[in-house]
Amino acid sequence: MAMRELVSGGAACAVPGSSSSNPLGSLANALIGSSSKTQERLREIPTATATTSDGSLYTGAEEPLAGLPGSELEHTLHSNAQGSEFLQGFRSVDQSRFSDAWDEIQRPQIPHYRGRDGLTNFPLEQPRLNQDFDGPPQRVLSNFLHSFLHSGHGSVPFHPTSLPVLGLSEGDKQCIRDRSSIMARHLFADKSEDFIHAQVNALLTSLDIDNDIRARGPMPGRFPELEEYWNESQGMRPGPHGPDAWVSEFSQQRVHHDDPNTWVQSFERQHGANGWASEFEHEQSQLASIDQLRGSNIPNLAAMEQTRMLAHTLAQNNDPKFQNSKFFQFVSKMSRGEITIEDNQFKPAALSAPGDWATEYEQQYNGGQSWADQFVNEKLSHGPHGWANEFAAEREQHGLVEDEWVNEFSKLNVNDWSEEFERQVADGTLESSADNWANAYDEYLNEQVALKQKSASGVYVFSDLNPYVGHPNPLKEGQELFRKGLLSEAVLALEAEVLKNPDNAEGWRLLGIAHAENDDDQQAIAAMMRAQEVDPTNLEVLLALGVSHTNELEQAAALKYLYSWLRHHPKYGSIAPQDQPENLYYADVVRLFNDAAKLSPDDADVHIVLGVMYNLSREYDKAIEAFQTALKLKPRDYSLWNKLGATQANSIQSADAIFAYQQALDLKPNYVRAWANMGISYANQGMYEESIRYYVRALAMNPKADNAWQYLRISLSCASRNDMLEACDSRNLDILQKEFPL
Amino acid sequence: MPVFKTSFNGYSVKFSPFYENQLAVATAQNFGILGNGRLHVLQLGPVITERAAFDTAEGVYDLCWSESHDSLIVAAVADGSLKIYDLSLPPASNPIRSLHEHARECHGVDFNTVRKDSFLSASWDDTVKLWTVDRPASVKTFKEHAYCVYSAAWNPRHADVFASASGDCTTRIWDVREPGSTMILPAHEFEILACDWNKYDDCIIATASVDKSIKVWDVRNYRVPVAVLNGHGYAVRKVKFSPHRGSVIASCSYDMTMCLWDYMVEDALIGR
Repeated sequence: MAMRELVSGGAACAVPGSSSSNPLGSLANALIGSSSKTQERLREIPTATATTSDGSLYTGAEEPLAGLPGSELEHTLHSNAQGSEFLQGFRSVDQSRFSDAWDEIQRPQIPHYRGRDGLTNFPLEQPRLNQDFDGPPQRVLSNFLHSFLHSGHGSVPFHPTSLPVLGLSEGDKQCIRDRSSIMARHLFADKSEDFIHAQVNALLTSLDIDNDIRARGPMPGRFPELEEYWNESQGMRPGPHGPDAWVSEFSQQRVHHDDPNTWVQSFERQHGANGWASEFEHEQSQLASIDQLRGSNIPNLAAMEQTRMLAHTLAQNNDPKFQNSKFFQFVSKMSRGEITIEDNQFKPAALSAPGDWATEYEQQYNGGQSWADQFVNEKLSHGPHGWANEFAAEREQHGLVEDEWVNEFSKLNVNDWSEEFERQVADGTLESSADNWANAYDEYLNEQVALKQKSASGVYVFSDLNPYVGHPNPLKEGQELFRKGLLSEAVLALEAEVLKNPDNAEGWRLLGIAHAENDDDQQAIAAMMRAQEVDPTNLEVLLALGVSHTNELEQAAALKYLYSWLRHHPKYGSIAPQDQPENLYYADVVRLFNDAAKLSPDDADVHIVLGVMYNLSREYDKAIEAFQTALKLKPRDYSLWNKLGATQANSIQSADAIFAYQQALDLKPNYVRAWANMGISYANQGMYEESIRYYVRALAMNPKADNAWQYLRISLSCASRNDMLEACDSRNLDILQKEFPL
Repeated sequence: MPVFKTSFNGYSVKFSPFYENQLAVATAQNFGILGNGRLHVLQLGPVITERAAFDTAEGVYDLCWSESHDSLIVAAVADGSLKIYDLSLPPASNPIRSLHEHARECHGVDFNTVRKDSFLSASWDDTVKLWTVDRPASVKTFKEHAYCVYSAAWNPRHADVFASASGDCTTRIWDVREPGSTMILPAHEFEILACDWNKYDDCIIATASVDKSIKVWDVRNYRVPVAVLNGHGYAVRKVKFSPHRGSVIASCSYDMTMCLWDYMVEDALIGR
């Protein structure tokens, strides 16, 4: 039985004529050839190939060769129940007996395979059968590969085994090498690269495959580009020879480029603008790894100042492009300890250099605008790539400042510097200066984290330089400005008001609404939360918070506020259970609101909340219905028209949405959010030219709407108006308005 | 339950968009590491019958049905080729086309459900290619990923938008009218093996990763995932949104299980 299955399984694997490179289990055939039941089995083969869809024929192909080391160990471990159980379920006794027998031939030293009956003496060659099926003995190979894969499920190291010569072609070997490597990385993702290598190597050596041939390498780190730059920069310097080599290389460069400016340029040329940034990151990452090695604490003001500035800018930059950038990820990953650099040999020595350098530099540079300042300024205005370029450009423009810097640096005289460096190495200050950097870096990370938490947890961020501070009645001024639709101005006036009277719930509420209409939900939430602190039961505030959280797709928070709206409502408070449940479930809250709507079908607010909630669950049809009901009761509510429009747009009814937005704009021509939404709807319909006009209009009213700038950029590129991208990037509204009048 | 056992290891299975009882299965010998492949077309009923089977010299990693012709199937083959089979023709005249442009293994294909003449292929040569049935060469190549691209999926509503999942730990959103990707979603810390769009909300995308998790994203707010679904014991190999319910996701993993999820509810794992 065992042999029959095997043979037929092997035969089924091979389809005569389908592929010459892909043969049958010729080993199995070979085995049969000399076994006592040869004739019977040979007769099986034609049948097997003729009826390939017969399920019973296939059992063999699925069975792992239990006798091979990887899977054999797995039997005893059972460490991953699901996986191995499933796989073991496939194994029939017969099959493993065969495999055991096979293994016994190959590895007679494994004791407990002995004593199985029957199949102990088959020769490996059977030319008579091989004439039909050429190529590697698939049976062995297949079992071997199976056990390789299953070794992953028990976390068992996979041992090399000697296998017969399989006659694999170079192409086959390449395939096995590449595919098993890639698959191993999927299976062993939580293990080290070394483990993966060991597993794959064990397989490859067993199969007599040379692992030296260039295989598909591992993913080149999390940041392939960085790695490249790193390699480049490593290549530029003569390898890991420690401080002396670095210094001498550096002085060589100075000899080559006497002019300090060319030095800067050549550095840029060698690394590209981004290279500079990545170089910087690498040094930082090295610092992080040093940090892990050492931990004492000596303050270095200069370095701290610099990193603090960097942290500040990093946290302030809300440009999603930047947030999304490799640099930002890199830094944040580093902060979570996810990236460590293995090669510590070279950098620690060189590292003290920047530390030292920074100190010296800071000391000499007290008068002028500091490097960090400049870094900050430029960082603020642009994303990382732009920043690097900009930095390069600015360097040349601000020749004066830069020359000064480079001169200062060169005044240090390389020889002195290296001497000093050696001295420091001698008396051990090297360590401490590295520590300084490490500590400073730590501090920078902490601060970055703190700042991030701050903005995420809804702390209101006030504008700098508010002309309305000191205004006699900023609230009235703010209300007036808000009514006129000058939202950005209104925001400033209202900020002045809440600075003056932090307990003015109305001031905070209006500020929140102004931000919401200005398309800044984060600030809107922050302001509304302050309003709620002052007046926890203000219904309008609770509703606004629910809407803003819905816009930010934060379901739990939105539910919380909408629920408390209901609870604090004089009419519906009784519907809601007195003790607020720990977890609010969407369905429960919707049910409550539906009850409320039945209770008083003429209350537009309940329908509005229902509409918002259906937006949360993306049941747009119901949401549209709810808003339309509310609009019948409150036809002059411009924000309600906007909500309807947004919902229609979300449910791919962009044409209807435009009508709704138009209603909102007729009621309130200065409604920035509706203008921007109108643009989005046109863009969704593929009418990019139209959408551009609306975005430009919205931006003319509120140039600070970062989202709208991004939408505009997308529409410009979709409309193939790349000529206007520059105006968009430089936020030149004059040009844009001239080009796209509405 | 009727069972049909394939001779090789299954790699992909898709229902016909035209006949509810027709199914195509892509298989590869030795888990696709080496050996033949075979494409089965099965007829469901009280018993499963095989309507057709096509053999290939290399494993078949993925397949998709044509959205415009009920008899056309595109197969992604381990040798990097895409083969188009026509069920209405005898096996001898199949495949009707073999498109060989990818330099390495082809790991995913997806047919556009809106513009029904085009399809995508994702390959280990780090690229995604756009094809149309009537053209012998690819229309466009999207090369931005830094490592193998494992799958590419069309947006169910927008004919020009698709997402790709790659081993470089990113999912990218593309618009075929644009030269580069329109959005880079650093969705996981580990390789991403699959992605799929929600069939009811064209902004929602799910990604499956070697980190054993599935994440659901809203592309309008891609800084935080809408949901993170943990529960698989090994790398998650494929992820699909239900065509019947917007919040239901099915996934399968190297842990040899498949899971059903509802990402909208508290206990997202609703079946295994």
